[in-house]
Amino acid sequence: MAEALVELVGVEHSYKSKGGPVPALGPLDLRVDPGEFVVVVGPSGSGKSTFLRVVSGFEHPSGGAVRLLGRTPVPGRDVGVVFQQPRLFPWQSVGANIGTSLRWAGVPRADRPQRIVELLEQVGLGALGPRRTWEISGGQQQRVAIARALAAQPRLLLMDEPFAALDAMTRERLQEDVRTLTDDGTRGVVFVTHSVDEAVFLASRIVVLTDRPGRIALDLPVPLPRGAGLSADELRGSAQYAALRGEVASAVRAVAA
Amino acid sequence: MAESRTRARPLSGTHAVLVRVAAVAVLLAIWELLVLAEFWPPAVLPGPAAVWDQLLATADAGNGQGGYAGSTVVERLGVSLRRVGYGSAYGVLLGVGLGLLMGLVPLIRAITEPFVTFLRALPPLAYLSLLVIWFGIDEEPKVYLLMVAAFPPVAVATAAAVTGVNKQYVEAAAALGASRLRVVTTVVLPASAPEILTGIRLAVGIAYSSVVAAETVNGADGIGGMVLNAQRYNQTAVVLLGLIVIGVTGLIIDSAILAVQRALSPWRGLA
Repeated sequence: MAEALVELVGVEHSYKSKGGPVPALGPLDLRVDPGEFVVVVGPSGSGKSTFLRVVSGFEHPSGGAVRLLGRTPVPGRDVGVVFQQPRLFPWQSVGANIGTSLRWAGVPRADRPQRIVELLEQVGLGALGPRRTWEISGGQQQRVAIARALAAQPRLLLMDEPFAALDAMTRERLQEDVRTLTDDGTRGVVFVTHSVDEAVFLASRIVVLTDRPGRIALDLPVPLPRGAGLSADELRGSAQYAALRGEVASAVRAVAA
Repeated sequence: MAESRTRARPLSGTHAVLVRVAAVAVLLAIWELLVLAEFWPPAVLPGPAAVWDQLLATADAGNGQGGYAGSTVVERLGVSLRRVGYGSAYGVLLGVGLGLLMGLVPLIRAITEPFVTFLRALPPLAYLSLLVIWFGIDEEPKVYLLMVAAFPPVAVATAAAVTGVNKQYVEAAAALGASRLRVVTTVVLPASAPEILTGIRLAVGIAYSSVVAAETVNGADGIGGMVLNAQRYNQTAVVLLGLIVIGVTGLIIDSAILAVQRALSPWRGLA
């Protein structure tokens, strides 16, 4: 078997508080391979964000081991994060935000303008490079945040409810674009959400977490077709989609009860 | 966007200028009326016209006394502005440097904060004596006085700005692989720039308002020196002229810094 992208073995994490440690996550085991689009679903407080913070290296788990490409994860090394809020730097233009990411990733100065254009086109924002970050819409800002994360060419992209603050139409358009991110099989995505619809549409595999402390309640492959040229509406309207949606929804209801 | 919050909407550009011009006109009129009513003798309260005459007289190098006591009001303003410029520049450099360290290293902050607050509480005239003993009566004590007056507000503003930087930006930078140094140069500094500039604005104002104190010892060639000299000879119109010149140039400098602040951080309040 090829090397795992991420491997969690017996990982658990608790936060300190006055009344002693509060368990937030685990113990859980999980392996994510390149090309997988894993969506983690769970009720609020199920430790989804803790899970991402542990995988990204922002938190060290209180127990167990996390390996990202065989090493202890460090923020920004092989792993990119798209947060719920875009967190673009408002003192830089849209293009400069991406340029900063390229600079930190070691891309030579001379190659950066070309890469900025390519990345903006990849997220469907070809002409917005010179704009101020607050002049563009929330959906466009989140697209820039995705481009900025992709600029560093991370092997693993972590997304923490990135579309939660967007309107329904914008959210669906972004979901359609993000769904293709794993199609070339080189990178993996771990996407956290509390929306069952979002999970079924995006995932190649769905992981349902239990209520605090989050453990794996369901690990389900999603056999819906992937690749370019698919009709999103057809996919959302298919019987298979509805069946999966029902199965995941009842699993989420069961753990939340 | 920002205006939909509780903040009152500022007047539009032309509107604000008109209101201000009108206010100055009303003030001048009241002043002139008080003089015409002769509540006080002209030696105590000269009218606007007398002050204007003093401006013309002291600006004229060929008036027989080289403007006022050897140099014109414009030359004096230049001398004082130069002192304020050097004093503020040193104070700002020192303040931003120390403020950065204070904001980034809690230990340095714990050690230096009481000293900065101590300095801040001292009136400039009080430490002038010490500076004169140490540095003599030439330019050094004057520039150092203004530096000491200017540096605490910048240090305090910079330290507060650095500790107050939105952690979300810092985390986003770390998630992109930025080193600690890069986080400071690319995120912390630009994110704090608007507040640092507010500190600089405050500092230049304090330096300028301390220039009269700085010129009490062997500073007769400055605008503050002119005020002190005129007071000795009961030349009330010259005293008033000096105050107005200091106040008006202070206003101009302040709006220049404000304009720089707006140009450098148009995103202020939006993100």
